Amino acid sequence: MSPAVRTGISAGLLAVVVVLLFGNLSGVVLGLLAGAGAAILLDSRVEWPNRNAAIVGGATAGAVAGLLILVGQFIHDLFLMPLAGQPVATAPGSTLQAGLIAVVLAALAGAAVGAIVTQAERPRQLGLLGLLVAFVILFPFLDQQIQLGWTPTVISVLIYVVLALGLNIVVGYAGLLDLGYAAFFAIGAYTTGLLLSPQIGINWDHPLSFWLVIWIAAAVAGLFGLILGAPTLPLRGDYLAIVTLGFGEIVPIVFRNLTRVEIKEPFTGTCLIGCDKAINLTGGEAGINPISHPWLPLVGQFRTGQDLPWYFLIVAIIALTIFLISRLRNSRLGRAWTAMREDELAASSMGIDIVRTKLLAFAMGATFSGFGGAFFASYISAIFPGVFDFSVSVIILCMVILGGLGNITGVILGGLIIMMSDRLFLPQLATLVKNILNTSVLPTIADPAMKDFVATSVDPSQFRLLLFGLTLVIMMLVRPEGLIPNVRRRAEFHEAEAGAEATVATEAKAPAK
Amino acid sequence: MSAQVPSIPSNGSVNGNVLLEAKGVTKRFGGLVAVNNVDFTITQGQIASVIGPNGAGKTTFFNMITGIYTPTEGTLTFNGSSIAGLKPNQITAAGIGRTFQNIRLFANMTALENVLVGMHTRLKAGLAPILLQTPAVVHEEVRARERALQLLDYVGLGRRIAPAAARNLSYGDQRRLEVARALATEPKLLLLDEPTAGMNPLETAGMTTFIRRLRDELGLTILLIEHDMLVVMGISDRVSVLDHGTKIAEGTPREVQSSPQVIEAYLGQGGAEEKLAQMKERSHARTA
Ligand SMILES: Nc1ncnc2c1ncn2[C@@H]1O[C@H](COP(=O)(O)OP(=O)(O)OP(=O)(O)O)[C@@H](O)[C@H]1O
Ligand SMILES: [Mg+2]
Repeated sequence: MSPAVRTGISAGLLAVVVVLLFGNLSGVVLGLLAGAGAAILLDSRVEWPNRNAAIVGGATAGAVAGLLILVGQFIHDLFLMPLAGQPVATAPGSTLQAGLIAVVLAALAGAAVGAIVTQAERPRQLGLLGLLVAFVILFPFLDQQIQLGWTPTVISVLIYVVLALGLNIVVGYAGLLDLGYAAFFAIGAYTTGLLLSPQIGINWDHPLSFWLVIWIAAAVAGLFGLILGAPTLPLRGDYLAIVTLGFGEIVPIVFRNLTRVEIKEPFTGTCLIGCDKAINLTGGEAGINPISHPWLPLVGQFRTGQDLPWYFLIVAIIALTIFLISRLRNSRLGRAWTAMREDELAASSMGIDIVRTKLLAFAMGATFSGFGGAFFASYISAIFPGVFDFSVSVIILCMVILGGLGNITGVILGGLIIMMSDRLFLPQLATLVKNILNTSVLPTIADPAMKDFVATSVDPSQFRLLLFGLTLVIMMLVRPEGLIPNVRRRAEFHEAEAGAEATVATEAKAPAK
Repeated sequence: MSAQVPSIPSNGSVNGNVLLEAKGVTKRFGGLVAVNNVDFTITQGQIASVIGPNGAGKTTFFNMITGIYTPTEGTLTFNGSSIAGLKPNQITAAGIGRTFQNIRLFANMTALENVLVGMHTRLKAGLAPILLQTPAVVHEEVRARERALQLLDYVGLGRRIAPAAARNLSYGDQRRLEVARALATEPKLLLLDEPTAGMNPLETAGMTTFIRRLRDELGLTILLIEHDMLVVMGISDRVSVLDHGTKIAEGTPREVQSSPQVIEAYLGQGGAEEKLAQMKERSHARTA
């Protein structure tokens, strides 16, 4: 079997899982993704003799993936739907049509990638980036057009991607295992909540601008990164993890309890704040509600239910985050993080101030979660302490580990996989399974106790945490470095080789040692 | 055109000035006295060696100079100011660079990155300028990379090795990379802890010549711990001998070689004479 067919099958199988769940025109989105994915995978395995070969290879891989999607489309429409008790809404003709569109799009995407990967280094990078940007921009419109309704879920998934990118600084770059990262997310969100709501007496008719508050939230979160980072400085490994876990628990509890704030001057007992009536700062369990939305010229006020502006805002935040983090990564400070992770003693012997370097990692990680928190508070329009519990910290950590510690692309991919599974695929699977049970399985079971047992226990959404756990265990055993490990960048390699050639001349003339 | 010699700013002091002075330095680990009341000086431009049997306290002495341990007692003065109790990074910034006995490179970073990390204290870029990528930062980074490549060249690794992960280098290359990384900190005093350990005779000879070049071309003052007598006797201006934490002899290589205490401590009782004779022979052959 040719490599093109093989990679096409790999990518196609992944896509089919989703198509089986969603059916309809989901093959359009999945076809584009699988086609491009298959071609990229193929490129990493094959040396291309020329551009045409690459285009044909990419198109073949894409088409194979597309064909699998087409098959999945038929299985969904003709087999799963009747099983789930839904009438075969679409005629076989339209199933075929949807499948063929997927095949064509997948082949086109594969061919486009094939044409790009054979370019020189720079246009190649720009080209792939261009494809990605085009897809990201087109996605919400496409989603609207084919009525998948994924955009709101994708927005909440992308919030977690921002968080994972921030945590990656702390865990991936600096090697500090932080189990309480959700605390900073909470601090960012609550800062935004307080400043964008009437909670602390800010005039609701003239609220502060979101564009100002998001920076304040990031700064406050960063500050708390310093404050909570400081006591952990002497700690390593397990102890660090335990203390950060503690902070992760404390912060939501504090927010839960800041409902009657009253500050007295300690010596004279004179009341300073909250004198007439203790201030309800955080609203306790009920949280803060409502929180105002961003406003932009042309776009106007962002509204709940209108996804487009929110989608592009979170995409912009991610772009900014990636942009800033890669600048940090390739700087003196980023190198200090890595060096510290590799060997703390050697790093400090090479002039790196361990205290400052650790604190900076905590602060920067927290800052980016502040961006995420600010967006979250405004998007949901309400916050309560319950959404920042330990499981959030764990999920973000899973995202970072699954994708590949210390690799931005890996972390984003890991984040998308975990959160899309959690928010989109599992719930859909749960509905599908429930429908199938109700129409096709339960009626055949006579024993009422058994019937009841099956009905309540076969629910994929209940296995959510089990699945995370399993994924992590398998990853740690099979591929502990993550999906896309932190490999040395190709560009750097080429740059150094070019440099080497230039110096051969000088070396030759230099006196031998 | 001559080989690119990375310039290390000289501190203006002339040869002959005391660069590092240790007075009554002691380190105890619980009941164990690893270094016992050691006095030691090294003057600008010297190559000095510390020798002694295994467990004599040589590395512990280095670790006190570089701030990894704080001396239990005694004072350490570098370039006129006290350094006892400073953190390792402060001491590096003050101008003491080092290598480690059991190589401690940043294994998963590239050779180039290892050297760049060594430049940390000499680079200025702060958080905000890095995030904004100010022209100053860009310029500094470009220059730093060029200089790092020069250093790789200088220690004999060549620029080609820049993108290789440190852990994939051969043992001898790793030792050279450690030297390059230490040079990147722009030291006035360079401490080398057994720089030829694990090297074959050819590599050892190369390293010996190279250490002398470091002094002659870069004007560095060098303190090394070494087990290979050939190396020690060949390049040292002065040799200090530690045994059980105590300095038992000091002087020129010739003086030290003929000290009866040294012979006893270093070579043990049995067969001391033959070993010493061997040792002398080899070092004569070398200096001849
Ligand atoms: N951190 C420490 N804690 C306790 N004991 C230590 C510590 N570091 C060194 N020692 C002890 O101090 C003594 C001197 O050790 P050191 O490493 O300085 O010897 P050395 O002269 O460098 O020996 P070698 O030639 O084997 O490298 C040894 O007995 C060692 O076990
Ligand atoms: Mg030692």
